[in-house]
Parts: sequence; C-alpha cells; structure tokens
Amino acid sequence: MKVTASLPTGVAALLFDGARRRRRLEEEMVARLESNGFAEVILPVVDYLDPYVAMLSAHSRSELYRFVDRSGEVLALRADFTPMLARLLAPRLASLELPLRLFYRGDVLRYQEERAGRQRELYQLGAEVLGLPGEEAEEVAIDTCLGLLAAGERRRLVVVLGFAGALDRLILDCSDDFDPHELVDAVGRRERRHARRAGAALLDVVERGVPDDPSALGAAAAARLERLEALRGRLASRHPSVDLRIDLAEFADQVTDPALAERLGARAYYDGLVFRAFAGAAAEPVGNGGRYDRLFHSLGAELTAAGFSVSLDRLIARDELESVDEGGVGDGRDGPAAPEDAR
Amino acid sequence: MIRLALPKGRNLEPALEAFRAADRPLTELEQGDRRLRFVSPEAGVEILLLKDWDVPLYVEYGVADVGVVGSDVLEEVGGDLLVPARFTAGRSRLSLIGRGGLPRAGQQVRLASKFPNIARAVVAEKPWGAEVLKLWGSVELGPLLDLAEVALDIVQTGRTLRENHLEELETVREVAPLLIVNRAAYQTHRDELNRLVDRFEQVGAVE
Repeated sequence: MKVTASLPTGVAALLFDGARRRRRLEEEMVARLESNGFAEVILPVVDYLDPYVAMLSAHSRSELYRFVDRSGEVLALRADFTPMLARLLAPRLASLELPLRLFYRGDVLRYQEERAGRQRELYQLGAEVLGLPGEEAEEVAIDTCLGLLAAGERRRLVVVLGFAGALDRLILDCSDDFDPHELVDAVGRRERRHARRAGAALLDVVERGVPDDPSALGAAAAARLERLEALRGRLASRHPSVDLRIDLAEFADQVTDPALAERLGARAYYDGLVFRAFAGAAAEPVGNGGRYDRLFHSLGAELTAAGFSVSLDRLIARDELESVDEGGVGDGRDGPAAPEDAR
Repeated sequence: MIRLALPKGRNLEPALEAFRAADRPLTELEQGDRRLRFVSPEAGVEILLLKDWDVPLYVEYGVADVGVVGSDVLEEVGGDLLVPARFTAGRSRLSLIGRGGLPRAGQQVRLASKFPNIARAVVAEKPWGAEVLKLWGSVELGPLLDLAEVALDIVQTGRTLRENHLEELETVREVAPLLIVNRAAYQTHRDELNRLVDRFEQVGAVE
C-alpha cells in the first residue's frame, strides 16, 4: 500500500507551530481556570452508548460515532463532555461538597456533513459550575468564558445572549394560524415575511433581537429579559472589549414550554441563559454555553448547572487571520482573506 | 463595509434590479464589469462575483457577509444561514419533467438532476422509486435520450421544454432568489443589513 499523508475528512494533524500555538493557548486558559478555582476532570474518550440515548436529541444522536466492541457492547466515541460528566456525577452528588467548579479539555468527535469549517474532530476546553444558587451559576459560567475568550484583548468578540423559552409565548400565540415548527425555523433564520404575518412583536425580535414591548413575551419572560439586561450590563463593565448583545431570535429553537415542545418534537437542551461567542466573520461560534439543570434532573439529581465550551482550533484560526490583518498582509476585514488574496 | 457575494448565473439580474430600485445601483455590473472582486462606491458594498453554487459556502465561511442565491441551490447544499428576504423578481420553479407522464405507483425509474439531494427528498414522498443520477448540466437531455425517464430541473418560461418536446409533469418547489447572511455577520452589521432590507421592502424588491 502506498503511504500518503492524507487524513480522513474532518480531522487534522497539528505539526510544529500549529501544535505549539494550541498548547500555549490551552495552557493560558487552564492557568486562568485554575486561578479561578476550577478543578480539572479527565474523562474517557469512549463510553457505553446506552446512558446517553435518552439524554440526546435526534440530531445529537445522528452525530455520534458508535460501534460494537468484541464483547458485544455498543460504545460511542465522546461527542460532548457535559452529558458524560453529568452521568458520572449525578449518582455521587450526595457525597460531594457543592458548589463544584470543574473543567475539562480534549477531543470530541461528531459526524458532520463535509463542509468548509466543519471539523469532525474538535478540541474543546470547557467548564461547568454546579450547585450555585439561582442564576449565579449562569453568571459565573459566562463571566469565566468571556475571561478566557477576551484574554489578550486583541480578539474581536461578539457574544450573543438569550434564554431558553424566551419566545415560547409569542410562538404559542400564533400556533392556531401557523405551524409552530415552521415559525420557529423562520424566526431562527430571520425570515421577515413569516415574522411579519405572525405579528409586530415577533418581527421586532427577528429584526432587532428583542420586542419593543417586552410584555409581549409574557410576564415571566419579560422579567427574565430584564434580568438578562442587567447581566449584560455587569458583563460589559467587566469585559469592555467584548460586544455583548441580547438577541432572542438566535435561540428561537430553545423551546421549554411542554405543549410547544411536544408539538415541535424537541425540548431545549438549555433551561436558562444561552450564549454564543463569535470571533471574526465565520458563522461557527468559537464558544457557547448556558444553563442546563434539566440534564441533571433527567438523571435523578436536582441542582443548578451552567457551563460552556470553547473551540481552541476555531479560536486559533481566527487569531491567525486577525494577526495577518494587523500586519497589513490581509484585506483589513475581520474575516478570511478574499479568494484573490488566497491565490 | 458589507461584502456581498453575487451569483454569476440567472439570479444576478434580480439582484441588480433590487439594488437599482433601491437607489443603490451596482453600476459596475450594470455596465458589464466582470471583475471577480471590487468595491461599488455608489452601492456602498464590496462585491464578490461567484458561481451560484459557491455563494452559500463563501457566506457561511465568513468570506462574504451577505449573498444572493436561489432557494433551489440553498436547499441542495444546505448551510446554517439566515434568510432575511426573498427577492420578488427572478422567480422560477423546480419541476419534474419528462415525455410520458409521471411514473406509475410502484414503478422504479431513473431520475436525472443537478439537485440530487432535493431529488431524493422528492422521491421519498412518491409512490414510485427512482435511482437519482447527478448531472452537471443540460438535464433536459436525460429524458430526451432515455438516460432517465424523468428529470428534476428549473423551469422558467417552459420554452426549452416545448422546443425539446418535453412536458412539465409536476412542480415540486417554487424557487426564488434569496438574500442570505451569516450569523456572525448579522450581529456585526445588523443595523446596516436591516436598513438595506428595509429599503428593498419599500421598493417592493423583496418580500
């Protein structure tokens, strides 16, 4: 067999400078996490499939790499750290001292359609805050995430904030006239023509991220939005280089209302705060996270849980492009070089 | 400044028409300029001129902030993209075409198309089955030369079909040029993009 250097689709080897850059970034982030009181956990790359079947959405299940080992056990490669950590901690919570601040790092493997920027092997670093009261866990999680991403202050970051279930009331109010599945999809894709037919508040959300009149969201969601505004203000003062925005349309599919979730065939993974961090122009976020109490609830444990993960490979790719721009080699925008430059 | 990816194919004219109507004419393209990349000062955008099939990729990857692409192409290639507007001009339809009517229930046929993913989705809901043959062009020749019993292709006026003695058997999708935006670019340029779409709406160029 002829030996070549080709690798399977969606995976990459980091050689020399690439490896050094990733390790340097990783060590900086780990040092920051440890100084903030986070302890490392090391999790296996292979686990039984069975415990995850009920926890994962149909989409997440479709991304799993699974196989039968020689003893007949159905196993899956690690596609996410959080469910694995949750299933290992949930039975032990009674013996653990809360709150817990944990972090992890390593590869996750997910089947992705072959597309530019979509890797099947991703190197993630993430952290979880477990057992802090109320929305404090959310604030610690996002604050820690922004601290990692904004370190160095050279990276141009846009962080979009929302919360699960924010648009449930608006969607439900229209569900007699519109297929909720189509409406959620249309709001998520910013399709104005659908939103306009569904009403002024939903059109506001599609165009500007929040309704002019927050009471249209319902009393509970309006109050939650007010608290999110306050959180945004606190984060902005602590991370002045980060562009923080509230945009409920970005998380339109994070539905929590049981009746609506049943009609859509999927309930949100998140329960409270949800956020995505973008660096530069690429559509794939470099970090994301939120609150996910329900995952523990599904495992028979009751506690608040919030966390995040960052993709080191995407961050390094964005940093390289920005450094090229600053050196005057690129075209001065916050994205990859234009095709002519690439040639 | 927004970077706009425009398709060289049939959806270029509807995009030019919309910018013209919105008083932001892409003068260079109107005058036949076919450079692949340039700044249009009058429209206040930077233009990338691309193959239709490449537009979603450029936008999703962030090389372009915004693009114009047919709904047929976007459905075929997929992508996590925002679609704030559909252009009113340049509408067409994606139809099954052939010579002897639609296949009978239970029949297994060959279906030629430039859109194999859409074709498989269409066939999945039919009482007949099909082996989908991916072609890169002149799809009408498939049923004409018995490469395939049916084809799935774009129909605009139907003139090509009539001249080749083919029938439009069934419309499976209405097709429109779309304005697409990448998620990060939407957040970065939200006000500017909203103003552009507002203007397109005011002049009836999009819905």
